[in-house]
Amino acid sequence: MNKISAETGRRRRFDQIVAVFHADMYRYAAWLCRDKAIAEDVVQEAMLRAWKSLDALRDDAAAKQWLLTIVRRENARYFERRRLETVDIDNLTASQAALLAEGPDEELNDLRESIFELDDDYREPLVLQVLMGYSTTEIGEMMGLKQGAVLTRLHRARLKLKENVAQEDRL
Amino acid sequence: MNCEEYRHRIAADPSFDGGAGHLSGCQACQAFRNEVLLLDDKIARAMQIDVPTLRLPELPAIDADNVVPLAARRPRARPAWFALAATVLLAAVVGVRMFGVGVTYESLADEVLAHLDHEPASLRPSTIPVSDKQLASAVPANVARLDHDAGLITYARSCEINGRTVPHLVIQGEHGPITILLMPEEAIAEAVSLDGENTHGVILPVGDGSIAIIGAREEKLERVEKSVLNSVMWST
Repeated sequence: MNKISAETGRRRRFDQIVAVFHADMYRYAAWLCRDKAIAEDVVQEAMLRAWKSLDALRDDAAAKQWLLTIVRRENARYFERRRLETVDIDNLTASQAALLAEGPDEELNDLRESIFELDDDYREPLVLQVLMGYSTTEIGEMMGLKQGAVLTRLHRARLKLKENVAQEDRL
Repeated sequence: MNCEEYRHRIAADPSFDGGAGHLSGCQACQAFRNEVLLLDDKIARAMQIDVPTLRLPELPAIDADNVVPLAARRPRARPAWFALAATVLLAAVVGVRMFGVGVTYESLADEVLAHLDHEPASLRPSTIPVSDKQLASAVPANVARLDHDAGLITYARSCEINGRTVPHLVIQGEHGPITILLMPEEAIAEAVSLDGENTHGVILPVGDGSIAIIGAREEKLERVEKSVLNSVMWST
């Protein structure tokens, strides 16, 4: 294969992968950082990294996990050397509030806020499981945790959300 | 399996299909399971936030033989042939030519340009200033002190240049965003000019370090340079 067609093929492969998984990359980034503008930056950085190391992806069937791992690292880089900030749900920046744009379903809006308020340790495995469809073993691999720790975090995350939903129902 | 064990498992993983023996004889756990499944359906819907239109970053040309992750770049340890190849590649990608770049400075300019190329999201026009907190985080007091005279700072991050963490700021000029990299430990003997089709800039020696300022071709950087130099004081 000559150089130009190899480059075209590389670009085509990248475009296809990104087109398929862009939404997952963005949503994962958004739920990790809880800020629309930062999520967009993180995804842009992740796409650049992915482009530069595309040759390291041997099997396109593993592309989703590969891309999400890059997003996770880029998000960590973004917040590297910064103190982790607690998001005050009553005092959100415009970019944070943009993620909570309210829809007609009030119950869903409340639940979205509750997910938003979960600690990072609980929110991330929940996103990986519910939104990305990973098993607890896979989540453990991605987050560097033992399966028992993943199960505990997921259990606590759901109980917290269940509690919040019940509280909202009582109001 | 008892109720507590079953509920722990099902709340951790609603697809859990063990404990059938317990479930069939326990109505309370059946109800709990149904609640969890219902909740999970709602969680999944709540997580489906709107996704902005796919916007690909400007992708640099890749020479597979010379692919090196940016974070791993260490220009001084890099063989001469690679530094040359990277410079040619960058010039092709961002359309920038460097003038007055001596052997000693070439890698710094190279790294600065590579960084701009790597962080295109920083170059969005904006009127929203970064928070004081964000600014303080990007420009720690032990690195530099920054007056508010520098301009409207709309982007502030800690970035890596030549293996060192440095403040990366963007201010809004008359003709668009202007990038400022504060590099207190990157000493240079004389100013390095950067000149491109749509951009131009300079790396200025400042004390034991240097400051890179890069803006649109139409931007009058002299005014910005003066303002930045008056606003920044190294703490180290």
